[in-house]
This record gives sequence, C-alpha cells and structure tokens, in this order.
Amino acid sequence: MQRTGPFRKIFIANRGEIACRAIRPCRELGIRAVVGYSDCDELSLHVKLADEAVRLGPSPASMSYLDIEAVLRAARDSGCDAVFPGYGFLAENPDFAEAVEREEMIFIGPSARVMRILGDKIAARQALSASGVPVTQGLTGVEDAEQVIRFGDRAGWPVIIKATAGGGGKGMQKVISPYEVEEKLEAARSVAEKAFGKGDVYVEKFIEGGRHIEFQFLADRYGQVIHLGERECSIQRKHQKLVEEAPSSLLAPEVRRRMGDVVVKAMKDIGYETAGTLEFLVDKAGKFYALEVNTRIQVEHTVTEMISGFDIIRKMYKIAAGERLSLRQEDVTMRGHAIQCRINAEDPKNGFAPSFGRIAFLRQISGPFVRTESGIYQGWQVPPFYDSLLAKICSVGKDRKTAIDRMRRALREYEIWGVKTTIPLLKRIMDHPAFVAGEIHTGFIEENIAGLTEYEEVEEEIFKVAKFVAEVSAFGRNVYSA
Amino acid sequence: MRASLRKKGAKRFLKALRADKEILYTNTGPRDTGQSDYKNRFTLHDMARLVPLYNETGYFSVEVHGGARLHQDLLNNKIDPFEEAGMWAERMPNVLTQTLIRSTNVWGYRMYPRNVVRLAVRGFLPAIDVWRCFDFLNYIPNMAPIAEEVLAEGRIFEPAISFTESSECSDAYYLRVVKEIVGMCGGHGGIILCIKDMAGVGSPARIRRLIDAILQKYPDLVIQYHRHATDALAIPAMAAAAAAGARLFDVTDDAFSRFYGHVPVRPLTRYLRELDFSVRLDMARASEASDVIRSFIRNYENFESQYKGFSHDVTEHRMPGGAFPSSFEQAEKGGFLDLMPYILKGMAYGNRIIRYFDVTPGSQITWTTWAGIIQRFHKEGGEQNVRKLFHVLDRFFQAGERLEALSQADEHLLLRLYSGATDDLKNLLLGRYGPLPFGWPRDWVYRSAFGEGWEEKVKSERIESSPLARLPDDDLERSRKAMEEELGRAATDEEFLLYLMHPKAAVDFLKFRQAYGDTTVLPTPVWFKGLRRPGDSVSIPLSGKPHEIKLVSIGEGVGGVKQVVLSVDNIMHVFPVELPEAALARKAVRKASPSMKGEIGAPVTGTVWRIGAKDRVVKPGDRVKRGEEVMNIEVMKTENAVKSPIAGVIKEICVKVNEGAEEGQLLAVIASEGD
Repeated sequence: MQRTGPFRKIFIANRGEIACRAIRPCRELGIRAVVGYSDCDELSLHVKLADEAVRLGPSPASMSYLDIEAVLRAARDSGCDAVFPGYGFLAENPDFAEAVEREEMIFIGPSARVMRILGDKIAARQALSASGVPVTQGLTGVEDAEQVIRFGDRAGWPVIIKATAGGGGKGMQKVISPYEVEEKLEAARSVAEKAFGKGDVYVEKFIEGGRHIEFQFLADRYGQVIHLGERECSIQRKHQKLVEEAPSSLLAPEVRRRMGDVVVKAMKDIGYETAGTLEFLVDKAGKFYALEVNTRIQVEHTVTEMISGFDIIRKMYKIAAGERLSLRQEDVTMRGHAIQCRINAEDPKNGFAPSFGRIAFLRQISGPFVRTESGIYQGWQVPPFYDSLLAKICSVGKDRKTAIDRMRRALREYEIWGVKTTIPLLKRIMDHPAFVAGEIHTGFIEENIAGLTEYEEVEEEIFKVAKFVAEVSAFGRNVYSA
Repeated sequence: MRASLRKKGAKRFLKALRADKEILYTNTGPRDTGQSDYKNRFTLHDMARLVPLYNETGYFSVEVHGGARLHQDLLNNKIDPFEEAGMWAERMPNVLTQTLIRSTNVWGYRMYPRNVVRLAVRGFLPAIDVWRCFDFLNYIPNMAPIAEEVLAEGRIFEPAISFTESSECSDAYYLRVVKEIVGMCGGHGGIILCIKDMAGVGSPARIRRLIDAILQKYPDLVIQYHRHATDALAIPAMAAAAAAGARLFDVTDDAFSRFYGHVPVRPLTRYLRELDFSVRLDMARASEASDVIRSFIRNYENFESQYKGFSHDVTEHRMPGGAFPSSFEQAEKGGFLDLMPYILKGMAYGNRIIRYFDVTPGSQITWTTWAGIIQRFHKEGGEQNVRKLFHVLDRFFQAGERLEALSQADEHLLLRLYSGATDDLKNLLLGRYGPLPFGWPRDWVYRSAFGEGWEEKVKSERIESSPLARLPDDDLERSRKAMEEELGRAATDEEFLLYLMHPKAAVDFLKFRQAYGDTTVLPTPVWFKGLRRPGDSVSIPLSGKPHEIKLVSIGEGVGGVKQVVLSVDNIMHVFPVELPEAALARKAVRKASPSMKGEIGAPVTGTVWRIGAKDRVVKPGDRVKRGEEVMNIEVMKTENAVKSPIAGVIKEICVKVNEGAEEGQLLAVIASEGD
C-alpha cells in the first residue's frame, strides 16, 4: 500500500528494548504508539511507555507475538495506520507483511516480494551475485553428504552448512573434514526443520578467522539508496553478537568505498525500500564476501546512529509514510567511533545458560557520551519465554580507544542484581589486550572463553550485610553467637 | 611506645623500664576479662570505642589477643583475628599490644607441631608486642619455639609460671622453673616474668614470699603478677606483690569487673598510691573508659556467668577464671547445672590425684573428667551415690592413698573413677603433653583409666621426654590443599594459619564472610538481635561510605520461611529467611542401626576432626582391625576415638572431616571379614 502524509498511530509488534526504542521517535513525531503484550508482559516496560497497549495472548510467543492474527487484530482494532515489527518475531515474515497491507495498514519494512527474495539464502545469493556482489563459493540444492564432500574437496575445507530459511546463526554447522559431513548435515537439517519448518540447507566455504562486517543502508521507494557505513560485529558467540562497533578498525577507506558502492548498487537493482543491512565476511587478505541481507532494523543499529547522527527508526517511519530520502551519500559523514555491548540475562560462567528472576536492583548508566536502550526496570521479573537481551549500552568517542574507555566506565556503573548477566564478561572483553588492539575475529570469545569468564561475581558488600541483618531480625537473635 | 620497642628491641626497652620504679598495668579487659566474665563476645564495634581512651590512659599494654579469643572470633564473633589485632596495633600507638599463648597449644586445644607453632607466632608478630606464654605443666621446653621466634624479632617475651597453692608448689619448685626459663631465654634481660595466678588463689602472704624468693635470686627480673579476682583477695595480694617488688599488674576497667576476671583499675591504683607506690595511670581517662563501657556492657548480659558472686572455694577446685563461665554454660546446656557444686568439689579431689596446673588444656581435662564422673555417678545412684564417692575418697586420702585401706566394694568403686577417661586424659597420663610437674599419678589411676593391660600401656607408651620433639611437622602443602578444597578457592597465608589452628571454625568463618561480608561494622545490638521494630534502622560505613539498612517488615513465617523486607540504601528488598527448624528438618541425619554390627554410630555429639587414627588415614576399601580407631570426634575441646566394633573392610564413610556429628549418627559402615 502506498501512502503519503505522516502516520497518526503506529502499532509496535514487538517487546523488550526494541519496542521501547521504537516508541521514542513516535513521541518525537507526534505519532501515537500502540504495543501488544503477552500475559507475562503486562507489567513490562514497553507497555508502560506506550500510549496504548493491547493484550495479544498467553505468554508463549507462538500464542502472542508470533500469532499473526492476534497481532493484526490488535493493530487494526486500535486504529493504527502502520505496523513496525522491530527484529525477531514477525519482522522478516513476508506473509505477515502481506497481511498487514491487506488490512490497509503500512508495514514499516521492505515489500513482501523483496523479503521473499532476500529471506531465501539461495535466492539472495543469486540476486546479489547478479548485481556484482562477491559471494563465497557455495553449494545449493544439497541432497546428500557425497555432494557436500565433493564440494569441500573442490573449494577447500572447512565448509559451513546453513539453513536456507531463517537466520541468527541457528542451525549453522561448521564442518572441518569430510568425516564429519554426515553427522553435521543431519544436525543442521534437524535444527532447520524445528526452527523454520523447512529442513533445506546449503553449503558455503568457511572463511577462517573472518571478520563479520555489515553495511547499513537506507532506501526510499523512489529509488534513492545511501549507505551509512559499516559495523563490525566480530565479537560473537555461536553466531550471537555480543559487542558491535562502528566503524570497523579493519577497513581501509578504499575498501569501505568499494563495499559501499556494491551495497548501494545491489539494493537499487533489487528495488529495496526502508532500512536494511548487508552482512559480509571479510577474510584476512581483505577480500569480502556477502553473507546475507537483514530486511529489518538490527539490534546494533545504535552504533551507526551514534557516529552518523541519524535516527534510523525515525527515518524508517518517514520513508514508510512516503517521504523522499533527501540525504545524498555525500551528506553522510561519520564522526568518531561507537561501541555497543549487549547485556543479556545469561550466565557466561555456566555456558551462557539463560537466567531468569526479579531485577532486585537496577542502576542504569548515564553521563557523557553513553547511551542505553533497555526494556527493564527495578522490580521487573525477567520472563523465561523470549530472547535474553535485557539492554544494550553504547559509548562514543573521537576514536576507538576513547569509546572503549567510556564503555568501561559505563559497564562499571551498570548494576543489575537478581539475574546473571553478561556485564562481567563484557568488562573482561573491554580489558582484553587483543580486543583493545582491534585483533578480533568471530572466534574471539570461544578462543578466550576461559580467561573471559575468570571473573568473580561480587555481591555488593552492603547487600551481604543486609542478608545477615535479615536473618538476625527474623530470629530475633544471632544464631552464630548463641 | 610501640615505635620505641621496635626501635630499641626488647632488651634495651626493658632496661629503660627497669630504671624507673613506677608500677605499670596491663589492661586485660578486651581479652581475658572478656573471656572470664563475658565469654569472649565483645564486638569490634564496642572495642573500637575504647581504643583511643586506652591509648591515653598510660597503660603498659592491653591484652587484645590470645587465649580462647581467636577461636571464639572465628566461631561466634565472626571477627577476622588479623583485622582485630591490626586495629589495636594501628590505632593504639602509645600502648603495647599483648597476647596470651598456651605453649604448644598456641591458641587452640591440641598440641601443634613445631612448624605450625612457629608459623602461628610469625603470623601475629607484626601486630603483637608482648607475648605471654604459659605451659600447664610448667614444662619449659614446650615454650622453646615460641621464645625463639619472639626473641629473634625483638618483641617482648613474657614466660609465665603457672601458679597455684599446694604443698608441692614451693618456692624451691618455682625457682627451679624460673632457672629453666632464664636458661632458655639466654638470661633475664629481654623478658618479663609472669606469675600466672589464673584461678585467683594465692594468699597475699604466699605471693609476697614467692616474689621475694625470685627477686632475691634474680634482682633485675621484671615481674608481672597476673591474678584473677575469683577468691576476692586479689587487691591485697597485688599490694603484697608490689611490696615484694613486682612491677607490672593485670587490671581491668572498673565497669568490666565482675567475679572471675581481674581487679578494677581505679580502686587498685588508689590503694597502691596510698601505700606510697608510684603508679602510672590517668585516673580521669580510666573513668571515661568505664563510662563508655557502661553504655554498652548490657549487650553482653546473656553471656555473663550463670553463677554470680565471688567463690572462695576456688582455692580448692582451682577452676581458672578464663574457664569458669564457659563451664557453667556447658553445664546449663547439658542440663546438669544443678550438679555444679559436686563437680567443683570433685575437681578438688582430682587435683590431689593427678597433679598439674588447672589452665588450658589441663583445666578442660579436669573439667570434662569430673563433669563426666559426677554425671555418671549421679545417673547410677543419684546424689547419694555422689556423696558416697566423696566419702570413699575422703577415707582413701585419710589412709594415705592406699587402696588396701578400703573395703573391696569401695576399692571397686574407686577403680571405676577414671573408667570413662577421655582420650585427652589418657594422653595426659601417657605423657603426651609433657612430663607431669610432680611425677606420674599412682598405679591405681592407670588401672582405672586403661583397665586390663594398663601396665603394658605404661611401659610401652608413656613418654618421659619432650613430646614436642617427637611430633612430626605438619605437611603444610597437603593441609593447604585440603583447606582450599573445602573452601572452594585459594586461601591467603593468614587464612591458612587460621585453618591450621582451627580447621572447621576457620572454614566456617571464611564461608560466613563470603556470604555475609564483614559484619563487624554492625552496632552490637544489631549484631546480637537484629532490627526489632519496623522503621528501626542502622547506619553502617563500608569502605568509607555511609549505608543504611532499615527494617520494613518481618513476615509470619509461612512454610518455614519468614519474608523479611529491608530497605537497603533506600531500595526495598525481600529476604526469605529459612527458620532453623525447617533447615534442621531438611537435613535429617542417618542414624546407625544398633542391630547392624558394622554400622558405627557417633558415641557423642561433636565434630569429626580426623578420619583414621593419628598415624593412619582410612578410606573405603581399607581393612581395619577390631578396636582400631577409624575416626576421632572433638567435643568440648576433648578428643574421642571412634573405634571399629568388628574386624573388616570399610564399606562407607558417611561423614567428612570437620563435619558435625550427632550422637548416634551413622559415621561409617564396616563389612565384616566373613562377608
């Protein structure tokens, strides 16, 4: 559906920090923000921040945030003229985008057609390749292990098996030698089947010690495309990003320009509208290969905002409302360096097991050159049903070192009690000499996990003493000194 | 003062002290008075208020450390003994810090190997200036490692002679002991000699005579008189000591003084000054300290002795002041408080049968022995039976301690006297603490304690030489590994030292610290009783910053858990507190079945401190002989062997070292040889 003129009311089909983030530009633009919520989220922060809130259903995502009918009904009945999907849940589901349009609302994202092409890894590789974007050697239409072994022998080991549908690293299997193919292929198919309902997989050459670099771009429906530079997301664990920064310390200006040109051309060719990201793997020699296109806002969009000065979600709202992208590529100048850390409710010491519970105490960060996006507040119960991302914090500085110093300061200020978080791990990463030197790659956490989790979890001294006072007060006597 | 000692070293420091004739005091309030009258429960919070006053009162030293305090700090007070000693040393520069060390028992209740003794001394040398050291057998070689360490560091070594009044304890005897001491210390220039009247039994005339005798022989010796107040004759005895030439005296603050501790400082000072002695004391400051003490002393009411008032019969039973109230406490907890007069009377007999000095560990041996004997006789035939025992003992002594003078029934009764002897008593009888000062007891005592085969036991096991020399050094590396395993982390040297002294108490303390932080910041009423009414709050400084804990509510206690709501630094927190009953029910213990011959139950409630025997570690799969010791339980500071009732192979060991065991609790299972 085409539309011009600003929105009156946007339905934000998400929860947690990204829903809160998406409400903010609404406020700025005078748009009313409506959110949906599941039962366990009725007291969550996005509900409190929104102008209106509509119950979607029971707590499991499949019965609330992933239930297309329920989301549509909530958006329509609350009189919204657009739907913003955020990331995860229904964000990359073309059926949902179509259904939104059918209900005569605007889907704030690319068209279902574009999503279908780019959502299928194989189709996406073809489209990108046709547009002149380098991709890794790959094998599609995988039937049996024999094929994979032949491919591996030809392209060189290791290779990586990926699901054709979905993303977020789910089901990816690195295969080091032919002997593992059978087992890993089986595993990848099984996970893909469970996660995406489709067991199809394809195989790519694995880029050893590669760095994960992605380009943010903005496109309007009038064919104007610009990019906002790259982000480096190499600090990840099992393909889940943990630290992101912009710009990448790896890219020479010349490579950056070449990659940017490739991105802009490809998106023009595909006919992309709104914001998106093209992910690359860059090898040690500086050669880059496209991985995939994310047709949605990304968790780490903040670092780009911090150095470019643009509010990407606000731009998405305006583009979806039919505004022209008045920016030209030459208007985009990046200043300084930004870092984002993801604060997850996970215990890094215990294999990153999810941690649930009540947030007994929260001290958010503040101060110069830092930013926080969170979906939590003190006293709130972290529910066990969804993604473990509690908050993300950003720092910015004139160079990478300054940004790291500020991030260290912010992490030291951030206090979350009641659940285990990645904060202590992130502190160790910020102090790690290799990280500080910019010598990072996607295997960084796995390689250094022992040292990175060698922290002690120190409870605040006053809280310990309070625990004692609680005990003595409960008994009316000191059982230790009876 | 401390700076001067450290600059000059003990010898030159004491030389200057000898030159002027002032009477000087050691204030024993924080340690010995605290132990004798308040069960060592003084908090750092209260003590910290006295530090600046003590610093300005003119004391020679303050006893801040030693005796049972270190154990109590770990066990009950949850005070880090190093932090405590450090606080005194740092904030009281004008006064020396003093400890009391129990020769080979150091600050514990067992004989420690030499390497542990030296390590313990070195650990506290930085904070402690004056080292008073006694041995309950006056067996001077036991003091040697301590003397060497202290003298080498230039601190003041203060050997103490354990004093009591009896025919054996003659001037000649004590002169022999002093000679040995002077010999060991390489002269008398660097030491203070202490006369340790720990029970408070010396009559003024006796004390005067003794000091006079010593000073005639060693005119330059600096003598300190340590004296408990139990018999109520302490002040005149001290005046007599001063007249004889003693220079240093143990005192306590007026407001601390009760019955088993020390004399109040201001009355003593007034009296000595009236007698024309020059005494160093700022009376006004001493009075201020007492005012401060009065403001907090009621916090410790619960820990004062069950028996109040002076007890002149201490001259008979000789219970030392430092052990008096804790004995009464044990009697009350054990439900035999009504038998106390009999037990004390029994101890008076005991002192004549086995002769040593009633001070740690001897006092504990006397106490547990007689508490056991009297309870046993009372159980068998009530008070009448106890009186009968005393009657037989009277006759026995009248007849010159000859068994033949007794009827067969009475002889039989007497021979049962030590049949329940604890391992500690048996060790004492076999010389494992050192030779007894006035010779071994008579044969019938061994017959009573060891039963059949006693003669063989005496012949083959009784040691006549220094037991310390035979005790092998502790395998420190192994002990440290064991500790760190229990603790779940690396230990510092100081923490390890605490573990070497008291393994279970140290680990418990360190775990407490891990869970609750440093609780010594709490004001004493909150430490003992918590916050009482909603709205009550406490302000505490942590690393120099103020914090506040305020009580909001205490829940009803549903399902064994009370929900306590506190506002911590203005933020509400709910603390679920499990009630002790619920916690107990959760860990119900496995009992040994009496019908299963191979199941070994705990003979007493206590702490399993060793698995295996002294010379053998045992584990499942090991073969044991019938009657072989498989573990040892510590209770009320005594050792109790747990022996295998059958010969066989250890199938299971159900407890760990340093775990508590209840009477009857299953400790181990032995599969008999036939299986």
